[in-house]
Amino acid sequence: MDALHAFEVIRPATVEEALAARQAHPESRMIGGGTDILVNIRRGIETPPVLIDTNDLADLKSIEVSENGLVIGASVRLYEVAEHPEVRRLYPAVAQAAGSIAGPTQRNMGTVGGNICLDTRCIYYNQSEWWREANDHCLKTELGEMCHVAPKSKGVCFATYSGDLAPAMLLFGGEIDLLGPDGARTVSMRDFFIGYSRQDGSTGDGIDYMAIRPGEFVLRIRAAAPGNLVSGYDKVRIRRSIEYPVAGCAAAVARDGDRLADLRIAITGTNPRPVFLEGAADLASGALDDATVQGIDDLCKDQLMSMKTTFTPGHYRRRVATKMAIRLVRELFEAAA
Amino acid sequence: MNEQVKPVDAAAAEPVRSIGEYVPMVDGPEKVSGAAKYTADFVEGEALEAAILRSPYAHAEVLEVDTSEAEAMPGVRAVVTGADCDKTFGVLPIARGEYPLARDRVRYKGEPVAAVAADDIHTAKAAVKKIRMKVKELPAYFRCKDAYAEGAVDLHEHRPGNLERDVFFELGDVDDAFAGSDLVMERSFHAAEVCQAQMEMHSALVSYDPLRDRLTCQCSTQVPYYVHLMLAKVTGMDQGRIRVIKPHVGGGFGARTETLQPELIAALLARKIGGAVRLLTTREETFITHRGRPETDLRLKIGMTKDGRITGVELENDQRGGAHSSYGIVTILYAGSLLYAIYDLQNVRYIGRRVLTNTPPCGAFRGHGTVNTRFVFESLLDEMAEELGLDPIAVRRRNYIEAPAFTQNDLMINSYGLPECVDWVEQASGWKEKRAKGLPDPGPGKKKGIGFACSHYISGASKPVNWTGEPHATVNLKLDWDGAITVLTGAAEIGQGSSTLVAQITADVLGLPIDRIRVIAADSEVTPKDNGSYSSRVTFYVGNATLEAAVNLRKILVEAAARKLEANPEDIEVLGEYYRAGSQDTGIPFQEVVMEALRDTGTITTKGIYNTIPESWGGKKYRGAAIGGTMGFSYAAQAVEVTVDETTGEVTVDDVWVAHDCGKALNRLTVEGQVEGSVWMGMGQALSEETGYYNGLNLANNLLDYRIPTIQDSPPIHTHIVESNDPHGPYGAKEAGEGSLSGFIPAVANAIHDATGIRFPDTPITPDKVFLALEKAARFGAKKRAA
Repeated sequence: MDALHAFEVIRPATVEEALAARQAHPESRMIGGGTDILVNIRRGIETPPVLIDTNDLADLKSIEVSENGLVIGASVRLYEVAEHPEVRRLYPAVAQAAGSIAGPTQRNMGTVGGNICLDTRCIYYNQSEWWREANDHCLKTELGEMCHVAPKSKGVCFATYSGDLAPAMLLFGGEIDLLGPDGARTVSMRDFFIGYSRQDGSTGDGIDYMAIRPGEFVLRIRAAAPGNLVSGYDKVRIRRSIEYPVAGCAAAVARDGDRLADLRIAITGTNPRPVFLEGAADLASGALDDATVQGIDDLCKDQLMSMKTTFTPGHYRRRVATKMAIRLVRELFEAAA
Repeated sequence: MNEQVKPVDAAAAEPVRSIGEYVPMVDGPEKVSGAAKYTADFVEGEALEAAILRSPYAHAEVLEVDTSEAEAMPGVRAVVTGADCDKTFGVLPIARGEYPLARDRVRYKGEPVAAVAADDIHTAKAAVKKIRMKVKELPAYFRCKDAYAEGAVDLHEHRPGNLERDVFFELGDVDDAFAGSDLVMERSFHAAEVCQAQMEMHSALVSYDPLRDRLTCQCSTQVPYYVHLMLAKVTGMDQGRIRVIKPHVGGGFGARTETLQPELIAALLARKIGGAVRLLTTREETFITHRGRPETDLRLKIGMTKDGRITGVELENDQRGGAHSSYGIVTILYAGSLLYAIYDLQNVRYIGRRVLTNTPPCGAFRGHGTVNTRFVFESLLDEMAEELGLDPIAVRRRNYIEAPAFTQNDLMINSYGLPECVDWVEQASGWKEKRAKGLPDPGPGKKKGIGFACSHYISGASKPVNWTGEPHATVNLKLDWDGAITVLTGAAEIGQGSSTLVAQITADVLGLPIDRIRVIAADSEVTPKDNGSYSSRVTFYVGNATLEAAVNLRKILVEAAARKLEANPEDIEVLGEYYRAGSQDTGIPFQEVVMEALRDTGTITTKGIYNTIPESWGGKKYRGAAIGGTMGFSYAAQAVEVTVDETTGEVTVDDVWVAHDCGKALNRLTVEGQVEGSVWMGMGQALSEETGYYNGLNLANNLLDYRIPTIQDSPPIHTHIVESNDPHGPYGAKEAGEGSLSGFIPAVANAIHDATGIRFPDTPITPDKVFLALEKAARFGAKKRAA
């Protein structure tokens, strides 16, 4: 950790002021709890001249649960999500995910907006300036040309997305309200997270992992009403606190008698995006049996792409995410009986 | 005991005893309230801020270090490079090859090359970036085998083959012993490199007064005396012109048992500018400064009779020592010598290689030299017990030493509380039932297991690394007209409780409440020299010296009281706040005794010293045999219960029972704290900690990636103190701060085996390793079933 560089802090009281500040300072960054960005700044990964502090934005500090669904403001603290009675009752995956992020101090400071937009991570990137320079830098910073994870990656970055909230929200058709110079818009989280890292460069990667436009920032996140979905969140860590997920898994099932009526799975800590497992719903057509389990296994094999971006080997992260997903689905199916 | 009301007369007085009680630390209030000042908290008005340029190369000849651009920057006051100091430093007199700033060669990524002192830290850091290095890169070696492979370039000319030390000894006849064994088993192990990760980062504040040619250094160290020596050596100053002060220190665990670069570089800068320089390192730099426990490859072979008696032992190990010597020679010798003194061994062959590699230098991490050896030894004992159908605890019992004894390699043992430790752990953990009937079912997809191991550690090396002929410890007591007693000690309080210890012993001897005692520690201008806080020497050595000084003071006070009361000194009762001559006497208060004692003489100073006895020094049976000698060994046993999640490979430590023989617990609070801390630190090495390198760059150089266990990972720890009353220890006390660490690692590995049926010979035992081993076992099982 290094001394911070000199920067200006702007504390807007309204979202309009925040937008104006953002437009006045295109190089600015938003700061909520600072649990992600301040660490990166201290490491010299970024040096924004202006930080826009979102902590006074009263409009973004509420959690609303109604028959239409769940709306959480970007400045809501993570512990507030974890402790909210209605979120716990209707969206247990969301509450559990929020309650499992890092440790209590980070949850007391960290915000929903910050966790959703959490920068992707890599052992070659989350290092000091001296370290990165001694290692010839990497793609994800402006100075580097090579990906140390996949030297033949042709300019594609594999830094891993590690947010816990996004996979939980994806179960419920999660959406994000954004505000930018062209006004407000709402984007589906499945379209928002674009870190596919395709070799042809047709989508985003560990660098461009969010479909966010210049000057835009997150106002709120939304989830649809849960209906009869029963959800949960599980994650593996090497230690139980102050740790990003080695792999995290959110799952939801709907049960109709002995039949699996709906199945949704989303995984974090493996790819440059939270992976909403495509094709999971197609597995929900009968009993929860070996074929379903094999189906989940196949989807994970196909869609999870964990590389050597963390201390923990990639093949383990993929395998354990798969096994955890299967266990969680079984437990939820039991609970839904 | 601090809340005691002062008795109004001798009839109500009684001596206050604190030995053996739960005594809060004397420096606790400052630490808890945040008032305690650590090196970084001292901001001297004129102090410049310093930053270090560190090598981005793992191994290179340094052709040029161009500082001209940096020196020209406004606000830059001084730049130093290797050219400014041609003196080397190092803790062992026989291995001082390290320069404060690299000269002709850099040998690891992160080695200091130059440093800047500037008006503020931003300028200093900016200037560091302007320094240009011209180098010729050399092949770099990150693994032992590559470093000592034929044709490898030597890191140091005087260490051919990159062997810092090649050790071989054989006592008894090992081959014969194996031939006569019922079971001989051989296994290979690997222990990852770990770092102390103490809370306070390395820092130094050094000021130089050119007018008087005096240098004052405050720094985060465990060994102010060694810092003093090395400051004199690298600056070329007369040692009498140097003052070293150790402020509050935020932990050490061995990382600071030698002089480190920050204090030396700050001194070079301070001398150059003729002023004060503050050098604070970052967490990453603290990791790079390192001096942790080396990555070790081990091969262990044990022979055993069918009733569990150990017949012979052969241990071979390679330690990746890093680029410089540090304590390396001691570490590789300890790893062999300290095979002994826990079990009765008669045939031992040891092959040790301390290897120089292009990674940061390793040093003396808590449990120095014993930890990886104990991990493999206790793991293999467990496996052999299983093979022979014996209870693992019974195997330990079969190999006890009978104290007093000298081991085959001449280590002196006068007290041996291991049997009591083992008995308590067996009983308290419910070992017998759990092994016989199994543990409670943890539910689907989970398995529970329990494992056991023993460990031991020295109470100070009986020969100091820097042999001068002086006593091992010297303590002064001062008593003046105000009745306050001041202990003057060089012992470095680093959080382990040495200041509390000296206050307690002094108070106890005089029967006074502890708050009457003041402690001034570790300021070379005021306090007597002490070798420092390492190898668990302080309780034994400084404790004994304090005891002697306090007894001397008590004698003076008793004589004064006798004069005043017109009685014989042998009739004087010391009741703490009162002295009296027999129970019929009304007595006189302490203050009056003090005034009588001071009459004609003035301020009273007494002294206590401590020396080890020659019998403890070890023999000359083989080279290096003297290393490992100590005045007393601590012993520990522990049982660890775990739950293994078969889906994820995660291991949860559910419970730990640990018994530690510390001879006598002078302060139960700090002894329990030390034992719990040892267990917890062992847990880190066993399950989650690893520095890791990528092309010589330290990967886990921060407290997120370097996973020390958090409170969430901490199990209940049931601690039991065994008191074997060592005949030489102060009140019978021995070591308490290190011996319980090494036992945890094999105990948890054995517990995971108990749960899963799989042996884990590779630390840390992280979930991925457990998961992959479980998958492999399942595949193997399926194949077997199919066949």
